[in-house]
Amino acid sequence: MCAGVCFVACSLRRTSFLKYFFLNLYVILSLFADLIRQGVLRFYGVDSPQYGYAYYYTDCLLTIALFVAVISLASRVFAELQLAKYVRFVAVLLLLGTAGFSYAVVAQSTERLTTVFAVELSQNLYFVGLVLTYLLWGAVLKLQETRTRLVQMVLSLGLYFSAYAGSYALLNLAPRYEVVQYLAPILGCFLPVSWAMTIMRYSEDSRLTPARLVAVPR
Amino acid sequence: MSRKLGAFALALGILVGAMELKTLVTAHNSTVIMANGVSPVPKLPLPPSN
Repeated sequence: MCAGVCFVACSLRRTSFLKYFFLNLYVILSLFADLIRQGVLRFYGVDSPQYGYAYYYTDCLLTIALFVAVISLASRVFAELQLAKYVRFVAVLLLLGTAGFSYAVVAQSTERLTTVFAVELSQNLYFVGLVLTYLLWGAVLKLQETRTRLVQMVLSLGLYFSAYAGSYALLNLAPRYEVVQYLAPILGCFLPVSWAMTIMRYSEDSRLTPARLVAVPR
Repeated sequence: MSRKLGAFALALGILVGAMELKTLVTAHNSTVIMANGVSPVPKLPLPPSN
């Protein structure tokens, strides 16, 4: 929670709040979701259906916000190629397609449609975000993007998604070890911390030196 | 027009790839991946069956 507050404070301080509005929106929503979850957790307990509903519905909302954050980064990467409107078109198609697919999966079980739909949509959007982030990272490499903040934020997202997939694999491989169960909550801090460090360390004008230029002998 | 068709094909490709990846990952285990926040993950709430 402190990491999220730190990121939003850094964005405001470096006047980057509106430039990275959807990233900030995700972090702010994440803060509110954590507050709601903690409140329900203390009041009802971890095994209560109330906490389950609060958790899964806020998670669905956060996954949509994270998806929009990934799309906003993609729009910035492709803005110079005049492809931003096509990125938005792809984003809308993906969101509608994922929602439709999720509905088709859970439509059989009508008695628990809303909850399972929220979980299914969240899961499916997570995987769409994962694929989208790797494609975005490929585009950053291909286009030789040099904007340091943009590159580091995309890289953070890639690491975040990969680390979650890794923790999930560990959870399946070694469920006996309690430490594995705490990996996912710890990873929740990674994204705001890495984004806050990026905002603080680099300005909007910072550029990376392409490797080819570094290698040129003088 | 061709760009829109390309964007449509790209969206379909991403969707199919993501769903295949999900099927591969969750094929042998029905537990869920939740990627947001630091709160403990609860069991999936299911209403009582009639």
